[in-house]
Amino acid sequence: MTSISLKHVSYRYPLDTNNVIDDMSFDIEQGRTYALIGANDSGKTTVCNIIRGFIPRFYRGDLTGSVEIDGKPVTDFDDAQLTTMIGYSFQNPFTQMSGVKDNVREEIAYALENLGVPRDEMIERVDAMIELLHLEALADKNPFELSGGQKQRVALAAVLVTDPGIVILDEPTSQLDPKGTEDIFDIVELLKSQGKTVILVEHKIDLIARYCDQVLLLDGGRLVMNGPVHEVLTDPAVLDHGGQLPQVARYYLERNRRFGRHDPIPLTVEEAAAQERKGR
Amino acid sequence: MNSAIGKLYPSTKFCFILLVIIASIFTPGHWFQYAMFPLFAVLSLFSGTFVKYLKAYLSSILLIVVLIFAVQVFIVRYDDTTPIWAFIGFSQTGLTASLGITSRIAAICAAIMWFFQVTSTKDMVYAMERANFPKKMTFVIISTIQMVPQMSALSATILDAQRSRGIETEGSLMTRMKAFVPMLGPLVLSLIQQTEERALALQSRAFLFKARKTSLYQIDKRPVDTVIQIVCLAAFVAYVVWMVIA
Repeated sequence: MTSISLKHVSYRYPLDTNNVIDDMSFDIEQGRTYALIGANDSGKTTVCNIIRGFIPRFYRGDLTGSVEIDGKPVTDFDDAQLTTMIGYSFQNPFTQMSGVKDNVREEIAYALENLGVPRDEMIERVDAMIELLHLEALADKNPFELSGGQKQRVALAAVLVTDPGIVILDEPTSQLDPKGTEDIFDIVELLKSQGKTVILVEHKIDLIARYCDQVLLLDGGRLVMNGPVHEVLTDPAVLDHGGQLPQVARYYLERNRRFGRHDPIPLTVEEAAAQERKGR
Repeated sequence: MNSAIGKLYPSTKFCFILLVIIASIFTPGHWFQYAMFPLFAVLSLFSGTFVKYLKAYLSSILLIVVLIFAVQVFIVRYDDTTPIWAFIGFSQTGLTASLGITSRIAAICAAIMWFFQVTSTKDMVYAMERANFPKKMTFVIISTIQMVPQMSALSATILDAQRSRGIETEGSLMTRMKAFVPMLGPLVLSLIQQTEERALALQSRAFLFKARKTSLYQIDKRPVDTVIQIVCLAAFVAYVVWMVIA
């Protein structure tokens, strides 16, 4: 069942002369994990903003084409509906803190408060989320006193507590150290296991290869490649459009090219090891 | 905030200071008004904020009151001003006027200062939300207070960054003034950019949704709050009657 559908979508920001997104069409299926990749300024964040409804509600500009969620135009949903349907996590952990809560527990509850959720239910859902994301040790701390990785986990908890079916993560690990990155991708794995639809904007190709089902490659506002992760991330054409390939894939592609081999291209170290073992 | 006074509901404390402020403004004379500072000093003793209250009051309000007093009595010209030296003179009318003005300032500031010291911002905002104050207003109040330390940290980071680029930030007044612009530009731009991102983050948490906001944090009105509020109301009515009769 299609969850999100974009058809011939083009968009230009106010005062801009060129389209940031140009005639883009794709479908997002429920329960799968998608990666949006591409060079900076290729339109990845703009696509996320369009799906979430920030464009045209927050950013005006010129939006043409149709954007539908579960068969209905995204503009037909009000703020509360979009909040409960689509969780959105941003790049900067600092700006995701509301600035009005002095402890993590209340920070996580903030969206539920705005939605008017009864207090008893709120307590239950916040406690469940704290347990799920292992935030017990941080629950009574001030969000601004946390590290970048901790803030990002809290921000994700604050988004996931509304139980959205679709989760958009816009470069959630760009400001994090390796441990923080690992924590975030553990959460991505958890979301996958819960059957949520995940749209992930990331540059860490090796992790995309490991966790995502499908990859959409954007270049200059256009969708140039869209397919299963194994199909896209083993295609050298990705490099011509500002994308990257996983290290393992690059190694095997180069090896095949140099030695005239036609070995299958693995995406991860584990796949490569299994392939080599089989080869022997 | 852990004292008996600190645990009172914010609107209870607000009713009390409102009564004091109204009485201070409309009661003739100045002795009642000047008595408010010692009254609130005693209250601050019971609320565990005595030292903080005294420090804040004496370092700010006292200076303002003394300045206004001196200007009104010795500098502003009235019909009965007796010259003392150069532009300094003495006026009985000025003395009466300054006692009236300064006593009211002292009383109102004593009440307000005490209120903010015994009421946490969080409690105040909670009470405002329960009283159906606009959500945006309460958000602005609390986020301004909470964000000040974060903004200070950001400006310190920008200052360090500019220093590492060779900009002198210490030394004479002129040197510091020159450093002001290269610090202000990045700070303002960073704040604008962060504001946009924060606005989107808030929107993704249903900030604009028009439902009655609930709250994880909760403070309850107790019977003592109701009693104090009724007493304040009764005192206000009695005061109005007394003023009308007198």
